Amino acid sequence: MDDIKVNQNPKLGSLDRPNSYIGRSLPRENAKKHLDGGGQFVDDLTLPRMVHVAFLRSPFAHAEIKSINTNNAKKSDGVVDVFTAKEIDEVCKPWIGNLGHLGEMRSPEQTPLAKKIARWQGEPVAVVIADSRAQAEDALELIEVDWAEKEAQVDMETALDSNAVVIHLELGNNLFWTRTVNQGDVEKAFKEADAVVETTLDFARHTGVTLESRGIVADWNKAENKMTIYHNGQAPHMMQHIIAKHLDLNEGLVRIVSRDVGGSFGIKVHVYPDEMAVTAISKKIGRPVKFIADRLESFTTDIHARCHKISGKLGVDKNGKILAMEIDDLSGIGPFSMYPRTSAIETNQVLNLSGAPYVIPNYKAVGTVVFQNKTPMCQYRAVGHPIAVAITEALIDKAAYKIDMDIDKIRKINFIPDNAYPNKCPSGVPLEDLSHEASMDKLLEIMDIKEIEVQKEEDFKKGVLTGHGVISMCEVTNPSPLFYGVGGAHISSQDGAAIRLEGSGAIHLSSSITEQGQGTEAIMKQIAADQLGVKMESVRVTLGDTDATPYGGGTWASRGAGIGGEAVLKAARKLKDNILNIAAAIMQTDKDTLDIEDNNIIRKNGGEGISLQKLAETVYYRGHELPKGTNAELLATASFLIEGIPFVFTNSAMGCQVSIDQDTGIIKINKFWAVEDCGTQINPKLVEEQIRGGVIQGIGGALFEECVYDDQGNMQNATMADYLVPMAYEMPDIIVDHVTTNSGRSIIGAKGAGEAGTGGAPAVIMNAVNNALKQVNAEVVSQPITPEKILKAIGKI
Amino acid sequence: MKAADFSYHEVVNLQDAIKIKAQDDEAVILAGGQSLLPALNMRLSSPTCLIDISKISGLNEIKIDGQTLFIGALATHSDVMNNKTVKDNMPCMIDILKMVAHPAIRNKGTHGGSIAYGDPAAELPALAVATNAEIIVSGQNGERSINAKEFYLGLFETAINQDEIVVGIKYPLLKQGQKIVFDEVCRRHGDYAMAGLIANIMGSKNDIKDLKLVFFATGDKPDVADKTARLYLDNGYDYDKLKNSLSSEIDFAGDLNSSSEMKLHLATVLIKKVLSKLEN
Ligand SMILES: Cc1cc2nc3c(=O)[nH]c(=O)nc-3n(C[C@H](O)[C@H](O)[C@H](O)COP(=O)(O)OP(=O)(O)OC[C@H]3O[C@@H](n4cnc5c(N)ncnc54)[C@H](O)[C@@H]3O)c2cc1C
Repeated sequence: MDDIKVNQNPKLGSLDRPNSYIGRSLPRENAKKHLDGGGQFVDDLTLPRMVHVAFLRSPFAHAEIKSINTNNAKKSDGVVDVFTAKEIDEVCKPWIGNLGHLGEMRSPEQTPLAKKIARWQGEPVAVVIADSRAQAEDALELIEVDWAEKEAQVDMETALDSNAVVIHLELGNNLFWTRTVNQGDVEKAFKEADAVVETTLDFARHTGVTLESRGIVADWNKAENKMTIYHNGQAPHMMQHIIAKHLDLNEGLVRIVSRDVGGSFGIKVHVYPDEMAVTAISKKIGRPVKFIADRLESFTTDIHARCHKISGKLGVDKNGKILAMEIDDLSGIGPFSMYPRTSAIETNQVLNLSGAPYVIPNYKAVGTVVFQNKTPMCQYRAVGHPIAVAITEALIDKAAYKIDMDIDKIRKINFIPDNAYPNKCPSGVPLEDLSHEASMDKLLEIMDIKEIEVQKEEDFKKGVLTGHGVISMCEVTNPSPLFYGVGGAHISSQDGAAIRLEGSGAIHLSSSITEQGQGTEAIMKQIAADQLGVKMESVRVTLGDTDATPYGGGTWASRGAGIGGEAVLKAARKLKDNILNIAAAIMQTDKDTLDIEDNNIIRKNGGEGISLQKLAETVYYRGHELPKGTNAELLATASFLIEGIPFVFTNSAMGCQVSIDQDTGIIKINKFWAVEDCGTQINPKLVEEQIRGGVIQGIGGALFEECVYDDQGNMQNATMADYLVPMAYEMPDIIVDHVTTNSGRSIIGAKGAGEAGTGGAPAVIMNAVNNALKQVNAEVVSQPITPEKILKAIGKI
Repeated sequence: MKAADFSYHEVVNLQDAIKIKAQDDEAVILAGGQSLLPALNMRLSSPTCLIDISKISGLNEIKIDGQTLFIGALATHSDVMNNKTVKDNMPCMIDILKMVAHPAIRNKGTHGGSIAYGDPAAELPALAVATNAEIIVSGQNGERSINAKEFYLGLFETAINQDEIVVGIKYPLLKQGQKIVFDEVCRRHGDYAMAGLIANIMGSKNDIKDLKLVFFATGDKPDVADKTARLYLDNGYDYDKLKNSLSSEIDFAGDLNSSSEMKLHLATVLIKKVLSKLEN
């Protein structure tokens, strides 16, 4: 056992004891399975009589479907049937991606297959069901569609113009949702400010690029009235509800199985038209149906994210104190709001989170979300954070430059002090247990800013533009019912755990949190084994099966450890309590004199104990030996839910140093530093990998990733060769360190850690680039920051 | 992303491949498949017949042939990179191949495939043109040799006939005082470049006797810039002048990652970057 972290959470007990697994960087067991090719992903599944589907997808961003002739396709080799909206709509009811708690949302009904009008390039229009995917694709070419191409509303910036193409005629215009936040009096404060700075930033659309693409096998069993769905999603119980609701099934007889999942990043937590169609097809033809999105389909149908243009203004006094901040954000979400979480949340988070680390007495924020003829956009890792953090931190750097103050100093004097929590974001969202001051101090300590500044001057003399940045941010984690449930979505914010001691002495644990490759299984095991006092290898975990696990929300919004982990902790403590009660009865002693260590019940003050196996054997096979009336339950369950606040926030400070080649515009990230405060780290290594992986995705957004569209709304780079994700060579060294402020909302004290990297990296990289460019009086304001944008900014082209 | 149906012929000798190719207008050669298979799977092309030449023995030979280095068509990029003859005689080839894709692709992708495919952004066609290599093709009427510059006609268009197959490339051995220097600018390591330059130089940094500049990822084929090379020899590095000259000599075609304007700029600065690598 390596890497013992000082345990700063007294509620968890000392780390200096056997089976103290919380806080240790233990290797995760299921990594071995994956290395060995032993995982079981949706595409690994073959069921008897299973058929495959391929979708005919709209080649146009906006077009009328005048007619569809499927006769020739139906005759193609291996084809079972060909369906259009007409047949699918007979079994699947439409849905609407609106929620009630955030003001009026205006998305219209959506059906699995487009009916009269296709509204984005890639929208499914017809589906071929065949014995193999290749045969289904052959038949796609034989479907004749009489298309009447319509003008597309591609640009979000003109979507509300009077001459815009209205995507849903019944709405009269392309507005989906808007919100204004107004705290204090910004106008007055700007007048009083000694310096006011402004900027407008652009964020291109990008997407999540999961290693494993979306996939589903739907298996309708008519005799049992049962629908089994093998799905690589993130929220099995949410899917169970949705499939039952829209296919008119008994919800109890819908089973969602999510075994191994190859990354999700929020991409797989939404309801997709093609997946609903697959479920409907299985119901209709009574056979298992498989759909695995190919990469082209992933790029044009997986949700996209970002796509924001945001203007901001910040007023400070001559000492650098922030007086007011104002932002105005525009975002384009494609033709529909996604179901059931809606596509308003990213903008909502921008409004909630801008300025979050700082005391900003006057704050105004306007968000406008419009429809456009592009792939639907929705929540992806670090929802809204990159935009909120980038606008805040860009403005703060600008203010520092303007009043000639150090970039770390201006932040420090404006932080909400670490001892001033509970507190509130400028938007009014409650905050607690944060440590911006301590985290920034730690960051500056590990970065060595002085040295970096010396190097900057030396590089400049050599013609290289080197720059650095530091930022602070809050990350939304562990949401309460106030996130979705309150708005009417059947998305559980509570999670459950069930833990049992079996006859063999083994421990079985099940949880409603799912594993997407991030190590959920490992940390659940650590918590259970730690709290029970058993060896890690005696715990077996079941996740991702609505027939086998407790009910709960699943994995999203960095909630697994903080919510699901607490449920496991509570269940394990209950089971331990039961076990010690039984043991006390068997051993005829007082329960308080007993404990569990290494799978044995021990007497704290010495003397012979008994093994858990012996105890279990007595309970299960020779129950008559127990004293009468002993409560011999070896199964314990518990649930947990965040109450009273919308989210448990995490905070981080990040820094980076970049160098820019003035001839080519190529940006090199020399080094990246992140200090994270996520409270208790159950497995520090997994936390660090979350931070690193998040930072890499943030680098993607900042420098590389963009869904490029032409004026007609055709995506131009829907392949892995053309859509640039950062690869090993583009990944800098990322130094991760920690400050620990436990969440007071739980015993375990863990907050989330999954999204900060993605949320903060784009801001700090952009600030570092602009810090470098400032030496030649240039600036970039648009992400991804491509070499061409750099060369334009410095006037080389 | 499943390819449409095609007939598949695995041949073990060149003559069979040529015979099938001559008989079927639509027949396409499959070597390492690194460029062809993605195109088939995305149904960007749907040939009815594939001739798999990867099992033909002897076509991956690498050897010195007279005053040339001969690389057989089926030698993979990895074969070439790890070959001692190449290392001893044309080490620049190894440096250049390091910039071609990634190890997994280099383990399958072949030298002949890259040359025959004629991607204007690929390194090897530009190297072949810069070094005045000869492309050896074999067809119904036997073997013929095509000078690399004449081989590349336009966008993915080569002088190869329907019945012909590339069997190897002959690179003239470097003479005393001759150097091949190259550089390229990519957004990510291993990607096709936004612009690249291979320079064939006779002489030393301060005394260049002869200079040939061949750009890739700039136009529709390897772009030879003789006028600009001349200008450099006469005038040294003058950004504006060289840029003007390049813009008159090459028809820059923008792509997703770089506009034509960007490519022109990069091509110009590449002259500086490449020539500054020369030792005195
Ligand atoms: C992700 C990725 C990145 C890449 N990056 C680069 C890069 O940076 N630079 C670069 O230069 N290349 C790059 N490539 C391309 C790679 O180098 C080529 O795919 C490979 O060299 C082609 O060889 P192959 O044997 O795989 O050809 P195949 O894919 O089998 O064939 C390619 C074409 O050439 C024809 N052909 C093949 N062999 C012969 C022959 N002997 N005679 C006649 N015709 C023939 C085929 O009919 C086909 O049209 C990249 C490829 C990928 C997938």
